[in-house]
Amino acid sequence: MSLDSGYVVMMKRPPHTPTPDVKPDLDPAVGDGTWIIIPVFNEAAAIREVIGSITPCFKNVVAIDDGSSDRTWEVLQDCAPHALRHFVNRGQGAALQTGTDFALARGARRIAHFDADGQHRLEDLKTMVAGVAGGECDIALGDRFAGDASEIPTTRWLLLRAAVLFHRVASGVRLNDVHNGLRVLSREAASSIEITADRMAHASEIIDLIARSGLRVREYPVTIRYSEYARAKGQRWSGSFRILIHYLVGRMAG
Amino acid sequence: MNAFQIILIATLGILAVFALVGGLRRSIGRPAAMLILIVSIVGILAAADPDRTTRFAQKLGINRGTDLIVYLVTLVVFQGFVVFYLRLRKVRRELTLLVRHVAILEASSRNNPARTPEDAAESDGSDP
Repeated sequence: MSLDSGYVVMMKRPPHTPTPDVKPDLDPAVGDGTWIIIPVFNEAAAIREVIGSITPCFKNVVAIDDGSSDRTWEVLQDCAPHALRHFVNRGQGAALQTGTDFALARGARRIAHFDADGQHRLEDLKTMVAGVAGGECDIALGDRFAGDASEIPTTRWLLLRAAVLFHRVASGVRLNDVHNGLRVLSREAASSIEITADRMAHASEIIDLIARSGLRVREYPVTIRYSEYARAKGQRWSGSFRILIHYLVGRMAG
Repeated sequence: MNAFQIILIATLGILAVFALVGGLRRSIGRPAAMLILIVSIVGILAAADPDRTTRFAQKLGINRGTDLIVYLVTLVVFQGFVVFYLRLRKVRRELTLLVRHVAILEASSRNNPARTPEDAAESDGSDP
C-alpha cells in the first residue's frame, strides 16, 4: 500500500473507530451532483422499487440493463432517469464502467455503485455520499461487518472473511469488507479507476486499483438486507471459485 | 509403408503446403504458418520412418519414439491452448468495449434524438 502522491491512505481502520455521524438529510446540491450507477440483470421484479426509493434524494440514477432476458429493459425505460442497455450480457464490472463513463461525461461530481436487488439501504448511501462530498475521503466503501452483521448467512460470512484474508495476502490491502457493492467515489477517483474485469471479479479488481491509486479510502458501516430475494440472487461457493480463477488469470495476463 | 502412413503423410503434406502458401500470401500470420509447417514436416519425417524417431528419442534419453511424439504433441497442444485462450480474452475484451460504446451511444441518441429538417428550421428560424 503506497503512502505517497500527497494522499493519506486510510485502509487500516482501528478496531474501535467511532461510527461516522449519520446524516439523513443530504444537501440537495450534493444529491444532484452524485450519480448512482445500478447494474441490472434480470431484476424486473425488484428494480422499480429500488430506483423509486433512491430518486427522491438522487435524481441522477443510471441503470444499465446488462442483457437481461426478462422484462427488465421495459421496466427501466419506464422508471429509470437514465436507462442504458448492453445488447449482450457482459457482467457487472462492465455495466459499472459503462454507467461510470456515461455519468462522468455528463459532469458527475461523485459516482455511487448500488446493487439492484434491494440489499443496500438509502441511509447508508447518503452517509457515504456526505462523507466523500465533505472531503472525509476520496472513496467510501461499505463495511457490512462494522454495521449490523447479524443477518449475514454463515456461509456468506465465511466466504467474505476468506476474501478479506486473500486480499490481505495477495494485495496487501487491509480492508474489513472487500466485496461490498456499495461504494462512493469522487469524480477524480472514478476517473482514475477503469474496471476491466467484466464479471464478478471486478470487486477484487477495484480493490487492487484503489490500493495502487494512493487515494484516500474509508470504510463506512452499512447494513445489508439479506432478503430471500437477495439471497437467491447472491453468489454461491462455485461462483466464488470462478471469481477467484478470473481474478488470478486477470492478474497474470495483465 | 502401410496405408495409414500414406494417408498421414499426404494429409500433413497438404497441411504444409497450406501453411506455406498462406504464410507467403499473408492470409495466415507468419508465426502460425511457421509453426504449422514445422509440425507438418516433423510429422512427415516421423511417419515415413518411425525407426528414425526412435533413434532420435534415444539420443535424448527417451526410450521410445512414441513417447517423444506424445511429449511433443502435449507441448504443442498446451501452447495452442494458451494462445487461443489469450486471443479469446482479447476478443471478449473488445466485445465488452463495443457493447459499452453502443449502450452509451444509444442512450445519448435517446436523450438528444436526431432532429428532422423541420425541427432544425423551427429552432434556427430558417426555411425547411
